[in-house]
Amino acid sequence: MVTEAAGPDISARLGTLTLSAPTLMGSGCYGSGEEYAPFIDLAQLGGVVLKSVTRWPRLGNDAPRLVPVAGGLLNAIGLQNPGIDAYLANDVAKFADRPCAVIGSVAGFSVDDYADVTERLAARDEIDAIELNISCPNVGHEGETFACDPALAERATRAARAVTGKTLIVKLSPNVTDIASIARVVEDAGADALAVINTVRGMSIDVERVRPRLGNASGGLSGPAIRPIAVLAVWEVARAVRIPIVGQGGIETARDALEFILAGASAISIGTGNFTDPRAPLQVADGLRAYLARRGIARLADIVGAANPGFLGAR
Amino acid sequence: MVVTPSGERVATALGIYEAASERVSLMIVVVGPRTRELASLEPGDRLVLFGPLGNGFDLPALGGDVALVAGGVGLASLLLPAQRLLADGARVHLYYGARTAAALVDAELFASLGARVSLSTDDGTRGHRGYVSELLARDGAGHDGIAACGPSPMLRAVGDVARTLGVRAQLSLEETFACGVGACWGCVVPLARESAQAPAFPLPAPGEAREFVHARICREGPVFWSDELRW
Repeated sequence: MVTEAAGPDISARLGTLTLSAPTLMGSGCYGSGEEYAPFIDLAQLGGVVLKSVTRWPRLGNDAPRLVPVAGGLLNAIGLQNPGIDAYLANDVAKFADRPCAVIGSVAGFSVDDYADVTERLAARDEIDAIELNISCPNVGHEGETFACDPALAERATRAARAVTGKTLIVKLSPNVTDIASIARVVEDAGADALAVINTVRGMSIDVERVRPRLGNASGGLSGPAIRPIAVLAVWEVARAVRIPIVGQGGIETARDALEFILAGASAISIGTGNFTDPRAPLQVADGLRAYLARRGIARLADIVGAANPGFLGAR
Repeated sequence: MVVTPSGERVATALGIYEAASERVSLMIVVVGPRTRELASLEPGDRLVLFGPLGNGFDLPALGGDVALVAGGVGLASLLLPAQRLLADGARVHLYYGARTAAALVDAELFASLGARVSLSTDDGTRGHRGYVSELLARDGAGHDGIAACGPSPMLRAVGDVARTLGVRAQLSLEETFACGVGACWGCVVPLARESAQAPAFPLPAPGEAREFVHARICREGPVFWSDELRW
């Protein structure tokens, strides 16, 4: 537990899960955590959101899968993963002695997929919580349909809620007309928290070869380019729901993280920011403590939504 | 991987060119803003550098008579292997191609170490006029193994020549990298399922079954046997 001598309390609560720091590592950007273990002390992280797993193994999209663009990164990985059977058999046991929270990520193409994979993954002691990835933009339209259609978002959330009592985070897509209305439906369906946002759909074209640069043609844009989009999404969602929000989209520094927190996020997630500097999560946590100390604030939770007059959540 | 001070959103993958005691050197060709920024650094400037990452050439598997094939800045990955191979008593023949004579650097360094050196340029300003793979096809029959680094079209051509010569080749690949540590699965290449380097992966769903898996260039590679690539 954080003592007075250790400085301000930056812990965060998502449902029944308490994070020692509000810094999650974004799904798909951090593998299973072990990839970064040589470069960073995982005990300093709030938690790792694992790469999404699906019912069946997936080869993923053809290369190229990455295109750096101004202020960000376009990706179209396509949910490459070994499938839930092999994942449970080979991978999950490795998370047993993780020094930070381990959040499993579930992707699917049907309501049954979400229920089945969530039930089997959440049943494992090594998994502290589940994030429902209903917003992958890179698997045709089947994956993101769930986050873009209120009825499907509700059904996927209910199906996952019915099979686990662990904290259930639902990851929303920015590629919708009104993210707040989707957030409300997902809250009503039983989600404990919302991850806001997944990547913004985008494309880059090679004008010499006269074709899209990504093997999948379109992709998801991440990085600082999408930060203002994400901050606004958090702002709007925070005025629509009472459950905690995990803010994400281009966070690289404590000041970036604070924008999300003041808009209404209880925790934040760093994805692409790890690629420019694997120490970013530690610098964000240190910077949050310094900000609170400078202002004489004891707990990070006290400033969640402080800039947002319509903030509905509890502090 | 190196991150420039202005912090572009992807790190740049660079091989260590030379290493001696506490000093390492990187070879950079200025092609865009990131490499321009690297080239303009002054002594005392700081870089975020992390590694070493991935595998390297399997030098013992190359045998006692080795062809090193470099395209342009691909030379950067071949100096340390050349030094090690020569120290271990191997014969080394460097086939080195670039666009133009001015872009051929340090050929003399390799020669001074004891390597035989053959050069090519696209414009014929030095050495063979044409591709370095053509030099390899002409003179490379006697080698036990080939190790190559350069742009992808060159590496594909080296793989084709190697098959014709009946000599196995190790190719050091490059892609756009994001994490560099195997976490993001962004830098993949199709690899034969039976390759020892193939990531453990069950057969995909019905309808998606193909004869390859996607291996990460940063993690399982960057060096792969050319006859196991399915690109």
